[in-house]
Amino acid sequence: MKAIAFGQYYPTGSILHRLDPRAKIIIALLYVICSFICKNVLGFALLLISAIALILISRIPLGTVLRSIRPVLLIMLFTMIINIFLTRGDTVLVEWRFVHIYAEGIYNAVFMMIRIFVLIIGMSMLMTYTTTPIMLTDAIERLLAPLKVLHVPVHEFAMMMTIALRFIPTLVEETEKIMAAQKARGADFTSGSLISRAKALIPILVPLFASAFRRAEELATAMECRCYHGGEGRTRMTALRYRAGDFVWLLGALLFCAFAVGCNYFGIGYTL
Amino acid sequence: MAKIELQHVNYIYGEGTPFEVRALDDVSLCVREGTVTGIIGHTGSGKSTMVQLLNGLSRPSAGTVLLDGEDIWSRPKDMRSIRFRVGLVMQYPEYQLFEETVRADIAYGPKNMGLSAQEIEERVLEAAAFAGLDPALLDESPFDLSGGQKRRAAIAGIMAMRPEVLVLDEPAAGLDPRGRDAILRGMREYREKSGATVIIVSHSMEDMARFCDDIIVMAHSRVVMQGSCKEVFSRSDELAAVGLDIPEISSVCSRLRAQGIEVGEGIFTVEEAIRSLTDLFAEKEKSKG
Repeated sequence: MKAIAFGQYYPTGSILHRLDPRAKIIIALLYVICSFICKNVLGFALLLISAIALILISRIPLGTVLRSIRPVLLIMLFTMIINIFLTRGDTVLVEWRFVHIYAEGIYNAVFMMIRIFVLIIGMSMLMTYTTTPIMLTDAIERLLAPLKVLHVPVHEFAMMMTIALRFIPTLVEETEKIMAAQKARGADFTSGSLISRAKALIPILVPLFASAFRRAEELATAMECRCYHGGEGRTRMTALRYRAGDFVWLLGALLFCAFAVGCNYFGIGYTL
Repeated sequence: MAKIELQHVNYIYGEGTPFEVRALDDVSLCVREGTVTGIIGHTGSGKSTMVQLLNGLSRPSAGTVLLDGEDIWSRPKDMRSIRFRVGLVMQYPEYQLFEETVRADIAYGPKNMGLSAQEIEERVLEAAAFAGLDPALLDESPFDLSGGQKRRAAIAGIMAMRPEVLVLDEPAAGLDPRGRDAILRGMREYREKSGATVIIVSHSMEDMARFCDDIIVMAHSRVVMQGSCKEVFSRSDELAAVGLDIPEISSVCSRLRAQGIEVGEGIFTVEEAIRSLTDLFAEKEKSKG
């Protein structure tokens, strides 16, 4: 149960943790774009080096980082195999009946692997591991603020997201408590047929929903008691402020992007 | 004889993560068979963590939990039978009600034990009576009951399993004085009729003094005191050191003694104080007359 405890936030107090979350979202976006722009050996080498640098800077233990890759390992393997066998090129390496493996296929497979690896590392190092979910929604609200002109209810969306995130740990805890209480009465969730196992969930789901509705009502009342009326004219307890360091990182990401585009345009870097 | 015994038990939440918390630190304690044992301690002292070890809801990180001298984790497959023997009423148990009627909800435990319909019905009625639940309420939806009635229905749900050990975690929290009295009396009645061992977690020194034989004091994830009511409450300085009080009436009596009024020592309940004072009064009258 503890495994689904929300989020992967791993506090180490590194530079990455202290970056402005808005800057981190933008940098992460730029990084994703870069990983798609890069087409040659030089570009991929740079991507790989920057991903490793991010891990080192975040000071998060390597084991924890690698655990975030495990769920996509299968996808990585699958794309690799597809790329190896289905890419057609000029340099034939293996030819056996209907199987043809070309050098281009091998290169494509390796690049694809690097791309997926870098995407995951970039996103998790810049966002999930180093930014609390609440900070993320806060940053998203600020970044989307211009849309208010088009009457998009940005604040309301952000508030809903914040509340939803805020209550995930509460509901997980509640679920654990209810499960414990029903286990104390001899509930058995792990044995029996599929139907009897599904039925065993009723004693958990009914109290869980009852308490979720009760909490929602209490929260709405509490918010109204404190005169909550939406985002207009609302100030924040922790205002986000860009600092010099944020701009340095942003500049770095922009330069990386520019470099990747330049490489493609001028054909620099070792291409096949 | 020891009904339940904890030997050098440690419990750590989130072991191996940066959020690691040691909730129990080398806890050893002993609950005598047939007694009412109270567990007192501040919020966060590890009481609730400790009671969840007693019926195997959580497994200690180190140490052993013995029931009738046998390690409850010796056969983890058989844990359900341990849970029927050690009935645990968790904090705010009213949130675990789920059935359409109170009757069906109380029957959930006995049904899991695989008893016959007749036996179940018998136990439901018996448990409802122990918990002080009006039989007319049995066919209502548990969600329509009042807070106090819900609590009683939930406690009846555990009593219906007829556990040898009944563990109650803050059974009276958030109830009015009449509600808490009803629940504590129901607990006592259950014990007298069934001969079960009762463990009760509470904040109220008054309730503890009235209902318990033995008391275990917990502070900072450890057991700091263990003994009879009299032994524990006579160490008021040590209790104060861990942020706990002796029952109010005991401090009233000790102040009376300081004023030269010779009430007896070791008074922990209002009834005892009244008895002692009336005795004193009668003596005075006699010596005058």
